[in-house]
Formats: sequence, structure tokens, C-alpha cells
Amino acid sequence: MMEKKFGVYICKGCGISDSVDIEKLSNVAVKDMKIENCKTHDILCSPSGVQLIKDDVKEGVNAVVIAACSPRVKYNEFDFPGTITERVNIREFVAWSQQPKTDETQSVANDYLTMGIIRIQKSDLPEPNILENLSSTILVIGGGITGMTAALEAARAGQKVVLVEKEPQLGGFVNKLYKKIPTAAFYREPLIVDTDIETLVKEVENHPDIKVYKSSKTVKTEGQPGLYDVTIASNGNSETVKIGAIVLATGWKPYDATKLEYLGYGKSKDVVTNIEFEEIAKKGKILRPSDGREAKKVAFIQCAGQRNPDHLPYCSSMCCATSLKQAKYVRQNPDALAMIFYIDIRTPGRLESYYMEAQNDPGVMLTKADVTGVSEAGNGNLIVEMKNSLLGEDVKVEADLVVLATGMVPTTREPQEYLDNLALEAAKGDDAKKAYLEGTPKPEFILNLAYRQGPELPSLEGAFGFADSNFICFQYETRRTGVYAAGCVRQPMNMAEAQEDAAGAAFKAIQCVDHVSRGVAVHPRAWDITFPDPMLIRCTACKRCTEECPFGAIEEDEKGIPFYKVNRCRRCGTCMGACPERIVAFKDYSVDIIGSMIKSVESEEDEFRIICLVCENDAYPALDTAGINRKQIDPAVRFVPLRCLGGMNLVWVADALSKGIDGVLLLGCKYGENYQCHFVKGSELANYRFSKVGETLNRLQLEAERVQMMQVSIAEYDKLPEMINEFVEKVKEIGPNPFKGF
Amino acid sequence: MADQAISPDLKFVNEVIKGGGETLKKCYQCATCSVVCNVTPDNKPFPRKEMMYAQWGLKDRLISNPDIWLCHQCSDCTAYCPRGAKPGEVLGAIRKLTIKEFSAPSFLAGMVGDPKFLIILFAIPVLIILAVLAHNGTLSEVPRGENGGIVYSKFFPIHYYEFGVDFVFPLAFAFAALSFAFGIKKYWTAMSRGVRLKGNVVGSFKEVLSDILSHSRFKKCNVTKARSTSHLLVFYAFIGLAITTSWAVFYLYVIGRPSPYPLYDPLKLVGNISALALLVGIMLVITNRLKNQEKAGAGSYYDWLFIFVIFSIMATGILSELFRLADIGALAYPTYFIHLVFIFFLFAYAPFSKMAHMVYRATAMVFAKEAGRE
Repeated sequence: MMEKKFGVYICKGCGISDSVDIEKLSNVAVKDMKIENCKTHDILCSPSGVQLIKDDVKEGVNAVVIAACSPRVKYNEFDFPGTITERVNIREFVAWSQQPKTDETQSVANDYLTMGIIRIQKSDLPEPNILENLSSTILVIGGGITGMTAALEAARAGQKVVLVEKEPQLGGFVNKLYKKIPTAAFYREPLIVDTDIETLVKEVENHPDIKVYKSSKTVKTEGQPGLYDVTIASNGNSETVKIGAIVLATGWKPYDATKLEYLGYGKSKDVVTNIEFEEIAKKGKILRPSDGREAKKVAFIQCAGQRNPDHLPYCSSMCCATSLKQAKYVRQNPDALAMIFYIDIRTPGRLESYYMEAQNDPGVMLTKADVTGVSEAGNGNLIVEMKNSLLGEDVKVEADLVVLATGMVPTTREPQEYLDNLALEAAKGDDAKKAYLEGTPKPEFILNLAYRQGPELPSLEGAFGFADSNFICFQYETRRTGVYAAGCVRQPMNMAEAQEDAAGAAFKAIQCVDHVSRGVAVHPRAWDITFPDPMLIRCTACKRCTEECPFGAIEEDEKGIPFYKVNRCRRCGTCMGACPERIVAFKDYSVDIIGSMIKSVESEEDEFRIICLVCENDAYPALDTAGINRKQIDPAVRFVPLRCLGGMNLVWVADALSKGIDGVLLLGCKYGENYQCHFVKGSELANYRFSKVGETLNRLQLEAERVQMMQVSIAEYDKLPEMINEFVEKVKEIGPNPFKGF
Repeated sequence: MADQAISPDLKFVNEVIKGGGETLKKCYQCATCSVVCNVTPDNKPFPRKEMMYAQWGLKDRLISNPDIWLCHQCSDCTAYCPRGAKPGEVLGAIRKLTIKEFSAPSFLAGMVGDPKFLIILFAIPVLIILAVLAHNGTLSEVPRGENGGIVYSKFFPIHYYEFGVDFVFPLAFAFAALSFAFGIKKYWTAMSRGVRLKGNVVGSFKEVLSDILSHSRFKKCNVTKARSTSHLLVFYAFIGLAITTSWAVFYLYVIGRPSPYPLYDPLKLVGNISALALLVGIMLVITNRLKNQEKAGAGSYYDWLFIFVIFSIMATGILSELFRLADIGALAYPTYFIHLVFIFFLFAYAPFSKMAHMVYRATAMVFAKEAGRE
């Protein structure tokens, strides 16, 4: 461990000195914790305050404790490279949320300072873990509009790019299109313009930093960000390339229209999908497939097999605008009619003006309707039957061509379903697994990851097979660090949106290779140079960490002993909470450090003490905001921040309670189907571990109500103090912990 | 209800658009219009469904639909429409197409609705009246009356046997009446298809008449509240002028008293008051329309032609009288000539112009009562 020279700096500004006796607080450092170098300043974040610390650092101080505002602010000012800096939040947690100048308030501040000093005493200066032979090449899988845009964006930003496309030419679905919706700022005539995809293809193919593999697939992806070995197979040959990060842009497939027999598909040649219609339009006049006559009454059926639990339960988002565009194809003949039957026209954002412009064409007729069927008219034409239309209850109309607006199925869906079902069967036993493997055709995998947790992205509940994405906060991030999903594989979208998505994912991939080259966490703890460093000698190979790691960062050797692929790790500490042997530690974050901080809180006979373990991502900022709003918190409470509640170890609860702490409250983020947690399921895991707290309480013969877990979202700052205070009241009703004083 | 087969008609859509409904396609069926309308029945309210039918060119559902006449173009719908689809204007255009559809011969309606044919339409009365003047020998010089004043009957004869006013205008009137009779019969038949009627046409007519006399429906308008007042003024002025005309016939043919009549004559009093009322009324119509342009729309050529004709009749009529009294022959005779041309225009083209609304609206209102559509 490094030799430490401590410095404690207490800020008096922002109302702190009105709330707390600064001299008494200094005495905690100087007398109780024996740190003589304790200085105060009126405004510590001011240039003179910062200089005060910098001067000390020059003199050799390398362990800096700053008792001032929340660590979520002023991080640029309080940045002292080469030191360990610990921020003690006595502004939001004390000055702004406690009664000023009471003994209780003083005790809150004293405890926070003590905990901060203990933490820094037990921490060590972290060194970044920079792996060797890193690659910064970006691999883009998929050469459609998204993939090509991602490749170009990355290349323009100075990265080397490898682009893999399974078809013999680049362009993806755009190659099939006759025209596209203009992407200019305002939609005016003409409403259909050339796709001009050739220009983009040429630009990609001619770019010196983009290497294009056509008719190719990624058959194996081994390693970790910065150190992927990706095997690309093309035409019987295979080649392994070094890759830094991956953009997944494999897009979508059209929904299988043969399942839409009730809409006449397969029964009449003149019922076609929107993609088939593009091919018809590409040939010139709109000619019917059945007899080659020009179609003059074309019916478009929206949501064909979409927003329908029997087919695709979601909206593919681009079909409304696409049908309006295709209606304009029809209207290139001024005598022809395009009839659009919709459930709702969904043209969000600027597309609304596209809708208005297209609708303004007298020959583009629209009505809301539930289309119930398409049948033969007997004269070679078709009859579209509908209910609940704006034209009347039960209406039918003759058309000479019917276009079904079928939706998007992400390319990730098939492999996901296959793997999920495989897992289900495997859980039933080896025979069931074997039968499944033999009886089910294996779909084409995309990433072919050599990961313990599986070869593809984990499936996201409620996402209908779309690629994993933390769509609330970090839409391009998947649970495989270094793999960024973009375009229609992630969510249905149109071409303009796909291009924005591509740029976003490309920049995420660049951020990833940049961060691994500096040995810091990729995201969301993008500043963090610590990393989990287990004492493997005590490992029992229980595999809990390898299973619980949300990011598949931990692999196992032949003996089942885990090892970290550290560039995949996001430093959440879930493994630390998972490990029953408590051997996982970070330089500044370990079971011992947090435990010692908790144990430092004194709990006298005549007072109550509650330890509150706080998720840093949601609950902590909510508490800061509560402080800004001057919401009062019961002075019995001491907050202890955790990187993620998934790192929660029950031993802390046991230690606290056996030491006389009256109650423990766990504040995690919300979890469930639409996870919003930064670390995917830390809160959920904490809840699972928490369900075992009963044993601890039984052993201590304490009431179950003394320990509680709550889910808090970042926006609930207004309710949170009340929730905490209510818990404190409940514990007070139970009475003091009988272990006090032992 | 059994499946209704619909056949969209692009030609009809374009006709509505060209006929003053150019905003038709903006409608996206939110039904704000039907909600804010004060004159629509609660059951199957207009004009939301009419906008849809019009977008799809469902001509049959529109022209045989009494609802389009229950609309008084208050423009409440137009003012509140979030997309600027101006349902009031669109229904106006559909009414025009209805008149065209049922009027006989319908090509005349096409001509009245199209500014291209305006000159031809005016040329007809000009030529007829010139022919009468030539026959009367008053094209170059007009004899004075017994007391030396201007007497219009010397310029343009009155009696039918002189091919005068009572020859030309009753013929024009008869033509219009016949055309109306044909049109209304066709219209009633079209509306009745598949509709169960109460069978009390006289009773319904009485109710409608009292509606019309009091303008009770029209008064429910919100955005263009003042319109019912100006229309009421125009309406009663027309009644006054009709009384004046009958009175003149009575003077001439029953008691044999030729014009001109002195200003204190009761006939003259009624006539002049009605004329002034009509002038004021039509000017109010014009100012209301201009004032409400932003909310209610600018109005179509068809509307403005009708307003222009009425205004011109009144202006030339009053000027003719003033020039006659002032004894300025050089102005009086040409003005009177123009006056006659406009009157002919109003009468002869009534079944094809907006004037026809009087007959079609009344018919549709009676039908609506008969069909229980309140």
C-alpha cells in the first residue's frame, strides 16, 4: 500500500458554517482521527481554496479529504491527479437537510467526516489497468444504411474500420427501394426522391480507412473490447482480425407475409408486401403481377400483421410514411388512385409535414379502418373489406392491387428465440436439451461471441427480439461492453433515424476504444480507473460471480476458477456483492472499506442510528436534489453510497445490527421489465440477497422490520425524504436495538 | 348494416377542390368540426363525415344528402379546424355541385360557376334587351314623358305585347321556375332513396317556413354571428321587392295606372324602403365576409358573383331612380339598361347560381324534417 500523507479540507461556504460548528468538525480530523493537516476555507471551490489544496499536494499530500458539497458537483475543481480524493458531502446531506447548529446535526457531519477519513485510510491509489496490444479498429456488422453510415462516421473521426456485409453488395434494404422519402428539413414537392445509395456505397468503398468484406459473416468473436479477435468468413476463406469495438447494424427482415392469408397474401398474386411493391415500382409503371395490366386503384393496408398480438405486437414506425411515399409512386399516373387504410397514421416529428403534403394529393385517399379481409372480386380485381371505417360501419372497396404494409423483424430475433428456448429446454435436463438441439434448425448467429454467458446479445424482456439496449439512458449500449447496436436491429426506425443512430453508436464505439486505451471504465463510470482485483487464492469456484455479472465480464478456466476480461467490466461491483467469500475488492471500494465505514458510526444508548445504503446512480442524486430543495432528513440517518446496490453484502447489515445500529435501509433503483438501472439488475440482485436477510435477523433475534429495501427513481426526490423519515419512525416505534453498548 | 360497396371518384374530388373546396384534403378526421357545430343534429353529425365522403369522391353520398343544406356555413367548424381544412367552405363547394347536378340544363350551372363564361352569360340579356330596344326604336333617341321628364317605360316598354318588361322577365322567370321544378323533383327522389319519410310534407313545410322567417337555425351560428342579421335583412328586402312588383302589376293591369309613380305613393314607399334595406343588407353581407375572411375563409367565385349581382341590381336600381329624378338622361338610360341586365341575370340563372340555395335549402330542410333528421 502506498505511503499516505493526509490532508483534510473543510469548506465553510454554501451555508455549511451556519449549520455546523467548523471547529468541532476539524477536531474530528485532528483529535479523533489524528490527522493534523486539517484546513478550512470560506469557499473551498474558489481559486484560492483549490490553490490551498494544490499547494499541499505539491508538498506531498496524496490523500485528500474534502468535506464540502456533493461529489456530483465541482469535480473539475477538486481534481488532483496522483492523489486519492475523497469527497464528504456535508452540504446536501447536512447543511441543506438538517436543522442548523444542533448537537444532532453536528453529529451527522462528524460521522460523515469520520467515514470519509476511514475510507481514504483504507483505500489505495489506483493504477489504470491498461492491457497490451490494443486495437482501435471498429468492426461494423451490416452494410446497410446504418452500417455504412456508422463506418463512415467512425472513419471520418479517424478510426480504422472493418465493415462486414453478408450480401455480395453494400446497400442493404435501400437497394430494393425505388425512391426514398426526402430527408431535407422540410417536406415539399417532390415527395419522392432518388435514394442515391450508390454515392454512399462508393464513398464507403473508396474510403482508405474502411475495409469492406462483402458476402461475409462474423463466425467468431473472441476476447474483449480493444482485444477482440474476430473471425470473418467469406467465400470459404476465413480471416481473423484484431478489433477494438463493434457496431451491430444487421437491421431487419420483413415479416413473413405468408402468415397473412386473411389479407389475401399467397391467394392472389395481386396482394404484395410493401417491399415487393418497391420492386414493382422500380420497373417503371405500376403493373399487376397477375396480368401485367397497369394498376390504377391501389389499396394500402397499414399495420398488416402489426400491432397485433398474433403477429408483430409492435409498430414498425416507418410503414405509414412508406405507404404515403408509395402512394406517390401510384400517383405518378394522374388518373390512378391510392387508397390507404390505417389504424392510426403514425408520422412522428417532422414526418407530420410529409403526411400533410402527401395527403394533400387528391388521389391519395385515406381512412381509418379495421381491414377484415381481402377477397377476389370475380372480375380479376380484389375486394378489401373493413369494419369501423370513417366511411361507415362495414364497407368494401374494389382495388386492382393490394399492398400490405408489413413490419420489421429484427435480425437478432431468431437467434435470440433459439437460444432462449435452448436455455429453457436445458433447464429440464440433458435429454430435453439434446432433443431440442437435434430437432430445431439452428438459425444463423450474428456475433458468435466466445463468452461464457452465450454467443449472442442477451435478450431483453419485452423487446420482441430487438437487440439489447439500455433504451432509457444509453440507447446504443448493450450488455456486452464494446458491442453497440444501431438502426433497425435495435428499434424500428426510418432511414434518417437510422443514420442518426449509426453516428451515435459509432461514437460510442470510439469512446470504448479510447477508454480501454487509457485503462478507464468505458461507461457509465467513465472516469473510473479502479477495477476488481479478487484474491483468487480463496476462490471456491462457486461461479456466482460469473453468472451474476451483468456484462459477462468474467470467464472461467478449466478448473472453474474465474478470471476477468477487464475491458468488458463496468466496475459496478456486482461480483463483490455476489462473492460469498468476499474476496473481490477495488482499490477504493471493498467489503472491508464499506464495512469499516458503517462500523465507525457510534450508536449511543439514548439515540437512534439508521444506516442507509444508497445506489449512487438514482437514489444518491435524488437525495442531492432533495437537499437542494431543503427537504429535511431525520438526523438518525447516515447515508453510505454504493456503486450499485448489486454490490450489497449482507455482512454489512449483520455488522451494523450487531453493533447497535437500529435499522438498515437499502435504496436501490427501480427494476423490472423496462430496466432503467445503469448496471442492469443490481437492484434486483440486491433484493434477492436481501430476501436472505431473515437468517441474519433470526440469529440476532431482531425484528424483520428493522431492515427494508426500497426502489427509488432519480425523479422521486420529493417523496424520498418522506419515505426515509417514515422508515425511521417505524424503527423508533420498534424501539432501540438491544445490542447497543455491547 | 350490410357491406356497402364504395367507389372513390377522383374526378368529383377535383371538382370539389376546384369549386372552392381547395382545403378539402387537409382534413384528418379529428371531428372537431362536428363537435363545435351548433346546427348539426346530434345523431351522425356533419360536417366530419361529409369531409371524408368528399375526400373519397363519394358523390352519391354527398349530393343526395340533406345535411349539406342543414349547414348554414356559420364557419364555426372552419374557425376551430386544427388543420385549416375549412369544412364550411368545402360544404359550400359541395352545395354548388349539388345545384349543378340537379339543375336543368346543367351546363348552365357549369357556366355560372366558371368565370370563363361570365361574358357569355351577360351577353345573353344584353343582346335580348338591345333587341327589344331596337324593336322599340329607342336605341338612339328616347321620347320624353308628358311633363317632359324621363319615363323608363318610353325607353324600354312595359307591356308584353310590346315585347317589354312583362314579356322578357316573365319568360325568364318561367324558365327558372321550370328548371327549379325539374331540379327539385330529381333532388327529392335522390334523397328519398332508401329513406323512410313521415308523409306530412305540408306540416314539415310549415315548420320550415317558420324556421326560415325567423332565421332560428341561422342564429345559432357563433363565429359569424352577424351573418344571420344581414341575411335576414336581405331576405325581407327581397320579400318587400316581390310585394312591390306584384303591386305594380296590380296598378298597371287591374287599375290601369302607368308608371312612374310619385314618391309618396305607398307602392313607391315600400319599393324604396325595400331597395334601401337590400342595399344595406348586401353591404353588410360583404363587410361581414371581408371581416371574417381569416376565420371563415375568403368565399368562392360562385358566392361572390351572386353577391355582386344583388349589389349591382340595387345600386343600378337606386341610381336609375336618382338619375331619373335629377333628369340626367345621359346617365339614367344606360344605368337603367344595366339594371335590367342584372335583373335578367338574377332571374334567368337563379336555378344555377347561388340564388338556388333558397329553393334547395328549403327543400332539404323540409326533407330533413320528413326524414326525422333534426
